Amino acid sequence: MVSSIAFYIARRAINAVVTIVFLIFILFLMIHIVLPNPLSLARIYALSPHASLGVLQGIVKQYGLANPWPVQFASYLTNLLSGNLGMDTQYHIPEIQVIGRYIPITLELVIIGQILGVLVGLYTGGIAASNRNHPIDYGTKAVYLTTWSAPVFVIAFIVQLIFAFWLGLLPSSGVVDPTLPAPAATTGVPVIDSLLAGNLPYFWSLTQHLVLPALTLAIVSFGLVTRISRASMIDALDKDYVKLAYMKGLSKRQVVWGTAFRNSLIPIITLVALIFAFSAGGAVIIEDVFFYHGAGWFTVNAIYNFDYPAILAFTIIIGFSVVIANLVADLLYAAADPRVRLT
Amino acid sequence: MKTVVEELPVVSIEKLSVSYSTVYGTVRALNQVSLSIAPGDSIAIVGESGCGKSTLGHSIVRLLPPNSSYDSGRVFLEGQDVITLNRSQVSQMRGKLAFMIFQDPLNSLNPVKRVDTQLLEAIRMKNKYDGKPFVEEEAYKEAEAKLSDVRMPDPEKIMTRYPHQLSGGQIQRVVIAMGLLMQPKLLIADEPTSALDVTIQAQVLKLLKELQTTYRMSIIFITHDINLAYAVSDRMVVMYAGEIVESGPTVNLISHALHPYSQALIKSIPKITKREGRLSAIAGSPPNMLYPPTGCRFNPRCPFVMDVCRTKSPVTIDKEGESVRCFLYGGADS
Amino acid sequence: MDLGDILHYKWRKPIAATTTAPAQSSSTKIEDSGMKVGGIRFYMSYMAKDRAALAGLAIIVAFLGWALIEWVAQEIATLTGHPEYAWALLPSNPIALNFNEKLLPPSLNQFPTLLLGTNYQGQSLLSRVLFAAPHDAIASITIVGGAILIGMFLGTAAGYFGGWLDELIMRLTDAFLSLPALVLAITVSVILGASGTSGFFAVLVALSIVWWPTYARFFRAQALSIRNAAYVESSKLSGSGSLRILVRHIIPNSIDPVVAYATLDLGTVILTYAALAFLGIGIDVNYPEWGADSSLGLSFFPAAWWWAIMPGIVITIVVIAFTLVGDRLQDLIVGRMTY
Repeated sequence: MVSSIAFYIARRAINAVVTIVFLIFILFLMIHIVLPNPLSLARIYALSPHASLGVLQGIVKQYGLANPWPVQFASYLTNLLSGNLGMDTQYHIPEIQVIGRYIPITLELVIIGQILGVLVGLYTGGIAASNRNHPIDYGTKAVYLTTWSAPVFVIAFIVQLIFAFWLGLLPSSGVVDPTLPAPAATTGVPVIDSLLAGNLPYFWSLTQHLVLPALTLAIVSFGLVTRISRASMIDALDKDYVKLAYMKGLSKRQVVWGTAFRNSLIPIITLVALIFAFSAGGAVIIEDVFFYHGAGWFTVNAIYNFDYPAILAFTIIIGFSVVIANLVADLLYAAADPRVRLT
Repeated sequence: MKTVVEELPVVSIEKLSVSYSTVYGTVRALNQVSLSIAPGDSIAIVGESGCGKSTLGHSIVRLLPPNSSYDSGRVFLEGQDVITLNRSQVSQMRGKLAFMIFQDPLNSLNPVKRVDTQLLEAIRMKNKYDGKPFVEEEAYKEAEAKLSDVRMPDPEKIMTRYPHQLSGGQIQRVVIAMGLLMQPKLLIADEPTSALDVTIQAQVLKLLKELQTTYRMSIIFITHDINLAYAVSDRMVVMYAGEIVESGPTVNLISHALHPYSQALIKSIPKITKREGRLSAIAGSPPNMLYPPTGCRFNPRCPFVMDVCRTKSPVTIDKEGESVRCFLYGGADS
Repeated sequence: MDLGDILHYKWRKPIAATTTAPAQSSSTKIEDSGMKVGGIRFYMSYMAKDRAALAGLAIIVAFLGWALIEWVAQEIATLTGHPEYAWALLPSNPIALNFNEKLLPPSLNQFPTLLLGTNYQGQSLLSRVLFAAPHDAIASITIVGGAILIGMFLGTAAGYFGGWLDELIMRLTDAFLSLPALVLAITVSVILGASGTSGFFAVLVALSIVWWPTYARFFRAQALSIRNAAYVESSKLSGSGSLRILVRHIIPNSIDPVVAYATLDLGTVILTYAALAFLGIGIDVNYPEWGADSSLGLSFFPAAWWWAIMPGIVITIVVIAFTLVGDRLQDLIVGRMTY
């Protein structure tokens, strides 16, 4: 029995690796189809948009852009996997250092916003499903319909307008109060660093600036999670074992949250990666609106500055994270569903 | 239709009408259904798909889906008016008085919990409604004992299994064991053997019959298969298009059915020999439950149809412990 | 199988899936009754029962209808060289500068010009929104349509033929789907921009590339379940070639769930398109865009809050409409909620 789980994990892990390789291959392919000759390729790696022919030719030599494409792909792949994401064209230092600085900040945002959105969404979906055709169901539908259909930037604007400007409760932009001294960067994650250094004013400022963007992200993913949760709960509540639970004399609350909910979570786990990908996309816009200096904001800036290595690096990192999230979801699924664990 | 019983009937249904509102319109699933079940009775409700037999079973224990409504009539379970109960009373009613077994073993048990957890939960609820304390060790033994009662080999092993590790027949036995642990006055079995192999079917039916006499439960056995009904029940109720068209002792009904539909049903059981090979079928198609025929709902397919059948709905006529709902036996002139 | 199963009506259940139990598909009974299930009239009457979905349908018709009219007007304006035709139907000129009326909040004065307020250049936001509508309609229809076509081709082939083709296409879709739509769209647009293609066309290409994998998955799943159906087997036995089977059996039976999802997707595409416009991708300085206008309002936020928020609210309403209708269709087709 243990070996079947080991096989399962091994299979999913190999799956993940293959998908990542394919992902990189697709990006590579796209770049090379759109920019077929070495000189136009060089433009991407040029450290300024107005590079001269000589500079471009130098780049062609340096990166081996005139080599046959399998060779190029191989070196591209090995570069990526060893952490070499190229040179940033804005700051002229290795890309991985630049984007590496911003990613933990985005992580803080995404993790907190996501957890909040998912927890509330699961609960709301469950309530809606167990009260079908009730005003509660209609009310929930109206709420998640609106939050799902609103563009991320509108939700961000409205949150900002209400809480930061009209009510004045929280700061409207930035990651932290710039006048405060920063703690030593031990882990690179500001929240943890400030706690480790005992720098409470900094921690507090970080938290205050985190609330509104995280709230926006929670609202954004809440809609999707509620839809999924409601549908999954409805499926679970239709099953005979739910009727059986009722026949044992269990109350509605016990049946809905004790029996049906647990079963409804299983298919939802498989969608975790989808939810995560959805939030990651939303984070880009949220960081832009709130001037929250994370990887998303950095990427948006990179668009304006024609910083192609940054954009590619961001895309690859996101893709990588989603695949990992998928793998984690697969493991959770195996843990949650005994039908998978014990064949 | 009421039979004369000495004691209070376990179930008493009076002119019950139930409907579902669906996307296609309102389905009138039950129309003025009346039924009475004495303690220790075993009744089979027989009919084709969509005749309302499953709905009838569900309506006794308030398990109908959210889009249904009790349009009229009353349902009494051990003297309690089921329809007017509030939520906690309904839970108590289910815990103490009734239990239901379902058709598809695949979904009958909670897939993420072990058998022992689920059986212990039943005992816990039972004790709660009886006001007794729950002692885990005793309960565990009790659960194992019940598994032996339902003829499960290796009860200790089964206790630690998950439902997907059991066969269909085993799952049904576990569910029956769970039912016995609840000690209901009424057991409703909604096509419990339809998804099982024929040999396992026979075993489960035999088990039900034995348990019924041992525990003095009333059983409602819902099925589309008359042969099973004959094997299990003392009394039979035939339903068509949401109405009870005939009821009576099983032996009588099978040997001389009164209602044209029951007659056709029994005739259609294949009894082919080498010499005569014609299968007899009931002419026409099943009724549209959204817009059922006016008058007697069987009239489009009835070989003995009369003019009055097309306009008026027949009344139920009682004849010495049997009842039939057909103008052939009277009621046409009222 | 009983009345209860009409509630769980599954559309076109593959025959192989029926069990030994008398699990006939309840579709035979309803079809016997003479009621036509399926078809435009049935969908319409189903829609009508849900007033919210009906309202959504009305909004969609209004949106697409208006987009068509305005698009024609704009084409005429370009072809005849009379730019004023493009805004002849609008409350006011959306691209003329009019600093007398700058930054006016929404009000009922001068109805309907000031309904959404004005921006810094004094242009009525309502006019700008109406003017930009055709782009969003064209974008959603072409992208979803294109995604369906590509997805149908690749997905059905993958599901029907199986083998290495299936593996390859599955890996491809997996890889594509591990990127958020917005992020991939940004990357593709930017790369296209590096090669000189930019603007509206580039965004259409980018979003089509992003969108096809979901439909490929759909069609593949349908092909997988249908290819085992009895009528396909008998078709093969009577000598039909693969192409014939694909065209006559598999594809027509795959369309239904796709249609429902596509309706929802029309709304989702608009959201992503607007997000791209918000970030400045695919826009033309002279042409208003819903998302771009919101972004421009950022510099006057929160004082002139209507500039940033109003175009977004219009987007929300249109997407709500598509989602309502798409959800209703999907509920019917998946059979989850038949009441």
